[in-house]
Amino acid sequence: MRTVTFLPSYRKIEVARGSTILDAAQRAGMNINVVCGGQGKCGKCIVYVQVGKTEFDRQKYLQFFTEEELARGACLACETTIQGDLQVVIPESTLIQEQKILIEGKETEIEFRPAVKKYYVTLQPPTLTDPSPDLTRLLWGIQKSGGPVAEKIYVPLEVMREIPALLRHSDWKVSGTIALVPGGYRLIDLQENDTSKRIYGAAVDLGSTTVVAYLWDLVTGKVAGVASNYNKQISCGEDILARVNFARKNGLSKLQSLATDSINAALTSASNTAGIDREDIYEVVVAGNTVMTHMLLGIDPAYIIAEPYVPVVQRALSVAAARIGIAANRNCGLFVFPAVSDFIGGDIIADILACGMGERQEISLLIDIGTNFEVVLGNNEWMFSCAGAAGPALEGGEVLFGMRANPGAIEKVTIDPFTLNPTWGTINNIKPRGITGSGLIDTLAELISACVIDRTGRINTGIDNPRVRKGAHFPEFVVAWARETDIGKDIVITENDIKNLIMSKASIHAACVTLMKEAGVTRHDITTIYFAGAFGNYLNKKNATIIGMIPETDIDRIKNIGNGAVTGANIALINRRERKVLDAIAGKIAYIELNAEPSFMDDYTSSTFLPHTDLSLFPMVQALLESCRLRKGSG
Amino acid sequence: MGFDLQFGWTGTVSEVVLGRTRAEGGTRSVSYRIGGGTTLPFLDTDRPSPSPLIAFECCDNPRIWSTIVRDYCGDLVNDPAEWAKTAETVYGADMVRLNLTSTKERNFSDVAALKKTVESVLSATTLPLIIEGSNEPKIDSEVFLACGEAGQGERLLLGTAEASRYRSIAAAALAYDHSVIAQSPIDINLAKQLNILLREIGVARDHIIIDPYTGALGYGFEYSFSAMERIRFSALKGDADLAMPMCCAPADSLTIKEVRDAPADARDEMAVQWEVYTSIAAAVAGAEIICVRHPRSVGVLKEAFAGLKSHSHSRTAEVR
Amino acid sequence: MALKALDIYKLLPKKNCKECGDPTCLTFAMKLAGGKADVDLCPYLDDEAKAVLGATTRPPIRRVKIGVGERAFGVGEEFVLYRHEKTFYHPPGILFKVSDTQSADEITQVTIRVRDESFTRVGTKLQFNGIAIENASGSKESFARAVATVEESADLPLVLISENPEALALALVQVGTYRPLIHAATQDNYKAMCALAKKHGCPMVIKADSLEGLVSLVKDCAAEGIQKLVIDVSPQTLGDFLVKSTAARQLAITRKVPELGYPVFLDTTKTGMQDAAIALGIVKYASVIVTNPLSPAQTKAALTLRQNIYTDPQKPIQMNPGLYRIGSPGKDAPVLMTVNFSLTFFTLEGYLESTRIPCFMLIVDTEGLSVLTSVAAGKLNETLVRDSLKKFGVENEVTHRNLIIPGYAAPLSGRIEEATGWKVMVGPRDAAEIGEYLYTEWKK
Repeated sequence: MRTVTFLPSYRKIEVARGSTILDAAQRAGMNINVVCGGQGKCGKCIVYVQVGKTEFDRQKYLQFFTEEELARGACLACETTIQGDLQVVIPESTLIQEQKILIEGKETEIEFRPAVKKYYVTLQPPTLTDPSPDLTRLLWGIQKSGGPVAEKIYVPLEVMREIPALLRHSDWKVSGTIALVPGGYRLIDLQENDTSKRIYGAAVDLGSTTVVAYLWDLVTGKVAGVASNYNKQISCGEDILARVNFARKNGLSKLQSLATDSINAALTSASNTAGIDREDIYEVVVAGNTVMTHMLLGIDPAYIIAEPYVPVVQRALSVAAARIGIAANRNCGLFVFPAVSDFIGGDIIADILACGMGERQEISLLIDIGTNFEVVLGNNEWMFSCAGAAGPALEGGEVLFGMRANPGAIEKVTIDPFTLNPTWGTINNIKPRGITGSGLIDTLAELISACVIDRTGRINTGIDNPRVRKGAHFPEFVVAWARETDIGKDIVITENDIKNLIMSKASIHAACVTLMKEAGVTRHDITTIYFAGAFGNYLNKKNATIIGMIPETDIDRIKNIGNGAVTGANIALINRRERKVLDAIAGKIAYIELNAEPSFMDDYTSSTFLPHTDLSLFPMVQALLESCRLRKGSG
Repeated sequence: MGFDLQFGWTGTVSEVVLGRTRAEGGTRSVSYRIGGGTTLPFLDTDRPSPSPLIAFECCDNPRIWSTIVRDYCGDLVNDPAEWAKTAETVYGADMVRLNLTSTKERNFSDVAALKKTVESVLSATTLPLIIEGSNEPKIDSEVFLACGEAGQGERLLLGTAEASRYRSIAAAALAYDHSVIAQSPIDINLAKQLNILLREIGVARDHIIIDPYTGALGYGFEYSFSAMERIRFSALKGDADLAMPMCCAPADSLTIKEVRDAPADARDEMAVQWEVYTSIAAAVAGAEIICVRHPRSVGVLKEAFAGLKSHSHSRTAEVR
Repeated sequence: MALKALDIYKLLPKKNCKECGDPTCLTFAMKLAGGKADVDLCPYLDDEAKAVLGATTRPPIRRVKIGVGERAFGVGEEFVLYRHEKTFYHPPGILFKVSDTQSADEITQVTIRVRDESFTRVGTKLQFNGIAIENASGSKESFARAVATVEESADLPLVLISENPEALALALVQVGTYRPLIHAATQDNYKAMCALAKKHGCPMVIKADSLEGLVSLVKDCAAEGIQKLVIDVSPQTLGDFLVKSTAARQLAITRKVPELGYPVFLDTTKTGMQDAAIALGIVKYASVIVTNPLSPAQTKAALTLRQNIYTDPQKPIQMNPGLYRIGSPGKDAPVLMTVNFSLTFFTLEGYLESTRIPCFMLIVDTEGLSVLTSVAAGKLNETLVRDSLKKFGVENEVTHRNLIIPGYAAPLSGRIEEATGWKVMVGPRDAAEIGEYLYTEWKK
């Protein structure tokens, strides 16, 4: 036997003397570009032998090489036989270029390298002269069709039991599905005939309110269907804390099965839309917050929410989906994103993957806003994170006419600074029923620009305009008159609503500042600010800056990545290599407990101003508001 | 080796004028220009540091006033004009702070009487006045306008503007050219916010005194002390929105447990010590107007401030 | 100045080897930055990095311990010029002064006061720290007798005040092993004083009219092998003390003049303004304060100010959560919930007492955060209120189910009602209005 070492990966393989380099490379799992099938006709499989003895008739293939390649001793992998131990360099250009895919929410393309692949093979039936066993025959067939090296494929017993009958019944034409799991390659399924086009994977964002599933065709690399539905756990408690308490009292099993049911519902509806069989889903990737993923896996989350807030699992997990009741192929795999702490869960790691901040030297700031908010600051070397309660105001809660982003919700507002007449846009363009978080942010920004409120958010009731009223309990501003609405009531924003909004935005800004201080960076050092969370889709970046929810920066350096959790899950599904960095990202993130941070209180208070007590941190906003004030005359 | 203090400050505390003399268009015997500091209090060895002003607090309705002071001052407490005069001539105060406590009575409406009180106090004392008005949005506007008008030309210091109610008092100050006390709850950020709010409705920086709210010694004073130090520090570092002189008015000093529960024969001393310790620490932290309620505190503090002002340079010490 | 976590991280090996006990170099750097870990825990630091990191963590003002036993106290080891920058760590010792011209009875009386008097504020016992004995008589025998008199009544930290080394030598024969602070070495007597300090291992005050003089004395004493020093800037006036102590602290903190990195001594009896001097000393860097015996009023004020100034400004003082009674509340008395931030507690308590309406205060554990902040940080939530109601057995104390919550917690009212089943009444935002509120809203 001869040992061949491939560079630059240093992958090693032992092969018989006289085999070709191509043979060895394929057995070592290198995807060498062989258009001609290894007949010395295409000249694509150029490699360089650095050390060791080979036989190659270079003269015969001169037409395939440039002078430079010749000078460096290039040869063709398919036509070079191995004589001694070798070191072979495989240039990047010789490797098969993976298909690249553009995923929604991600700016750059992702290489298409799913963890599951289905191979259709036509095998020669055994004979007395070719008596190799069924399994060997099958696995060699898969290897020859471009699959992994036969002896590296593990076959679980339940699949093994099916092989003899299936092969014979199908006249030796079968489709085998190979999954790359942490232990190596695994034959997870075997079907009669050619079903190789029917292989799907699902990427799931398991949120505490909503579950979103993307179904991908893993042959074409295209989205086959998308579905979302409410997390059925809501019946056990609105927020996470309530659900953990429910689990404490009634056990975890109900919440576990509700989590599974929620995912199944999304998978079913996506499959139905796409017209595919759930049996053809071979892998599910899930990103969710720490408590959600614990619950999904049936791991007791009770200790996460109590001091010292330690999760049970912090690394990515791969398990059999069937074990937790996911309705997909019986041998479907489940990949779950890792978590950092109680608040920084797989959803945030997915955000980080989606925005790519962990790949770059430049510093980014990531803000994921829901009922809670999470903030991550960092680059490819370091990351700081923190989390806090944003308060429900930004999701429309605790605001008199606040509502979630449902039809009829006002999501965009502008206000004429002189007449104070607002112009608004609602979801689905129907008569307004309430205001969403983004609508509230717009309203706040417009009211301060129009000098209706002062910098602490107090309404100047001295203004002579019917829209500015003393109100029953608090001063208020009328956003929509009753006759314009769908609910027959004036839609107003009260001073108390504004207070709650300011408290929310102050928490978020103070959290950003806390991380920036910890890292010793200023707003000028931040190259990009990413918004994630369902809320991010509709956010007016400029208005978010005007109210001082985020550090001021050029508006075009603020990016919405929308649902980063599902984008991250999509990326991990589409390219298995991306999963390798997840644990590294999770390990890199330092978590800062805001409540233990002595300066947080101070930063919070200084952020309870529009935009901020230290106006020099918001020069653009300050200039803007100053000009608004001058235009209006001091009100 | 230079052993002089070198902080590298760039800011200056803004100057605020309190009171107007006849020459200046008022009727006070003296007017004060406070602020102007370029380092921490009492550390300027090149020129004499200004002494903090001691303002004696009296009121127009003693019902809710400290019993200790009522017992000590006797009938005086029923006559704000006479009381103010005594503060000047007997206690030796630099200013008088008149608290219009009558406005705290339920359904108060006699604004005309208030105006009279202010006028009578103005004629009874020649010292610059601080007028502490109402704290009730319904009457604020009327009360402050009345006080402002009564003291027109005297450059009163009107109290107290807060973030939740600053428009009425600012309007009165602007109309009659008075200054205002801007009070925020022991927080440098909230202090700054209020100053910005006032500035944005037209109150000039040199018409604002910061009251960072003084918790009584043992009841939050540690927070007040650091809030004052931080405000002064920010002023010297160049933050113009925090560069106003500060006042220290620990309103609760005489109602806290230690003073209330002190034996009858030691109650006055306890009251005075509580005010004195608080005031010295506040003055060192940067307060330039020190409000006290016990008459005996005035003299003790005068002496102490004289001691703090006086430096003996190490050079002169060597010559000695 | 203190390094940021990221600056420290850059000096670390970035191996994430976990040998320091932290999961990553970054988390270790954060601990180092916060002074919560020791540089030596990292086995892979080179000397240069160690030197850089070590220099920023070594206290710029040395620690000096005075006395032995239970009442011994350490001073110095301070890091900042303003308490809001971090905190002041070691409160000054305040010592009553007696003179060897006083009678033994008088001296004993003062000693016993310092030994026995104390009072408790916010859960902390406050007391004076020791006795300073002055050799006013000029006689070394009288001095030794006075020291013996003090020593007979109490094991208290002592300051021995005499510029006569012989008098001190005689006194130290009796108390030298109790680590008294000797006062004071001057340019004239420092050699003899250093010999005494060395012999008895006791800390020593050095005294000079100027900081330059002190620096040269520090060097002289160091040459004699004496480093446990306290400095007396011999102030002429209060203002003089303020300027010199501030300058000494600043030059020490910035490490410009490390020789000034010693605790400061202040004899307030020399200033003619006892109370002002004590207050000034407490707030402006005195570490050993000598005073004439104080009246009960002075005592309370002085020790309370010291307690205030030496609390950690970044850590809100917390009250113990629980159910507190104002007056003798009955089964129908109002229940007012608020946070365990002490200022909130005391303020509300004060106003409630003055309303003369007996009531319950339910103090919930927000880790010392104020209402506003704890609502924002999510510390104050319905679960906490529900658990606290249960934990402190409020249901057994009152027959009604009405809970008054702070005005700033109004956003939580619905959720508290849901979680607790109690009817929530939103109180005023300002504690001062609580009386009015109770009269109008509760009595209704």
